[in-house]
Amino acid sequence: MDKLIEQSLKALLAREGLEPKEGDLEQFAEIIELYMGNLKTLHSVDLGAEELGPVFRPEWTAK
Amino acid sequence: MAISEKPLHYLTIHEAQKLIHDRALSPVELTRAVLERINAVDGKLHAYINLMADGALQEARAAETEISRGNWRGPMHGIPVAVKDQLDVEGAPARIRQHTKGVGDATAVRKLREAGAIMMGKLAMSSMPDEPPQPRNPWNTDHITGGSSTGSGAAVSAGLCLGSLGEDTAGSIRNPSAFCGIVGLKGTYGRVSRYGLAPLSWSLDHCGPMTRAVEDVAHMFQAIAGYDPKDPTSSTASVADYAGAIRDDVKGMVVGVPQDYIDECAPRTHPIVLDLVEKAIAELKSLGARIETVTVPTLKLATIANAVIYYNEFWAAHKSDAPWVLKNGAAQRRARIYLGLLTGSADYIQAQRIRSRCRAELAEVFGKVDCLALPNQAGPAPLVKEVGPIDTLFKHVVPEYHGPFNLTGLPTLSVPCGFSENKLPIALQLVGKPFDELTIIRAGYTYQQNTEWHKQRPPI
Repeated sequence: MDKLIEQSLKALLAREGLEPKEGDLEQFAEIIELYMGNLKTLHSVDLGAEELGPVFRPEWTAK
Repeated sequence: MAISEKPLHYLTIHEAQKLIHDRALSPVELTRAVLERINAVDGKLHAYINLMADGALQEARAAETEISRGNWRGPMHGIPVAVKDQLDVEGAPARIRQHTKGVGDATAVRKLREAGAIMMGKLAMSSMPDEPPQPRNPWNTDHITGGSSTGSGAAVSAGLCLGSLGEDTAGSIRNPSAFCGIVGLKGTYGRVSRYGLAPLSWSLDHCGPMTRAVEDVAHMFQAIAGYDPKDPTSSTASVADYAGAIRDDVKGMVVGVPQDYIDECAPRTHPIVLDLVEKAIAELKSLGARIETVTVPTLKLATIANAVIYYNEFWAAHKSDAPWVLKNGAAQRRARIYLGLLTGSADYIQAQRIRSRCRAELAEVFGKVDCLALPNQAGPAPLVKEVGPIDTLFKHVVPEYHGPFNLTGLPTLSVPCGFSENKLPIALQLVGKPFDELTIIRAGYTYQQNTEWHKQRPPI
């Protein structure tokens, strides 16, 4: 796994008082790297000045 | 003369409710037939994790007495159903709740009971804490059922209940419905109460029915839909008469096909799926629907946006369980915790902005069409031996057919539309406007009235 991602994950786990299960970081490396790559893709979209709409409401329309 | 030409456990809800109403079939007789079926085949399928046989027979006797006195409550009265373990049932809280208490009966369960349904028990789901045996696909037990409503898919398909409640955060009703050759409905977000549904992701979780025919989905959905003050996201939108308004007619219905999105997913989709879905859409056209190609550019980002929200909310919902899960939990649950932790606030907010954009684009498209039609799966159910412990997560992070409609909360219906060469079911997905479940139910019903796929039963 990318070292920076691994260090970030370990730091985030430590902040929560958690440790990864032995072998998990190796076992899950592919999905974690794919996911982190997709996060970048998500941020590459130009949404312009579009604001966050209502986070969620059941009744929604085009307006 | 026999009550029915088919085995009682394979009656549809619609068939059984007519017989029960006319007192040609007793709920006790039907419940016993389903219990016999469970005893005969569930040792191979592993659908039930908590069979409530005694309670079911008691409820069936009470239903029989009530009906014999002329108090027939409606189509679900005396019908044996079962629920995914993620829903709380009185005395049997969801097992994935490890540090929170159950609520007794979830609202959807309570509503089914009030409609007179017989509770047969609780069904397996993916990633349970105690990892019971994985349910097997009744069409071929070497294959998976699809998840996470694994037990629901197997049980409904094989006649171990007449209908089931499933839950769908990223396809968990539609995936097992497609793989097991049954019908699954994920209603609009807010239409069915989530109260008593152990959360995976609060803003993406949907509870809905899984049955063997579209008219059955209408009966079950009628019983569980509607406002619930105990769920803060429950909608006050009026509930249609789904079963009453159902009819064999799609003349003039405009069906949109998001071809650019199908093309985006096509490299990861088995050709048989694309072929059978195209034929199903052609069938709708031959029945009078008008087919329009539509474009929804942001759909290609919707699956990953759905995953970002899913994992981040999962982490928040399961934080107190995390120490136990990371030591003892299923691989999928551990992976979701890692991915949720790695998701920052800016990522979550960007996913919500994508959600808003996608919703607006779809609202514009729904100004021109009545529903969308597209595939419901990437391929036939894979072999158990070929599926790794976290393979489902890969489906969550590349464009596919389910996540976009959790993200946007739109109603979707999974309808069987054929079989692969090795006789595994394939399904069409229909997507409706917000709170317009009726249109997709009508389209699915019309399709089933003119095809035979849903009448086929697995060899088990």
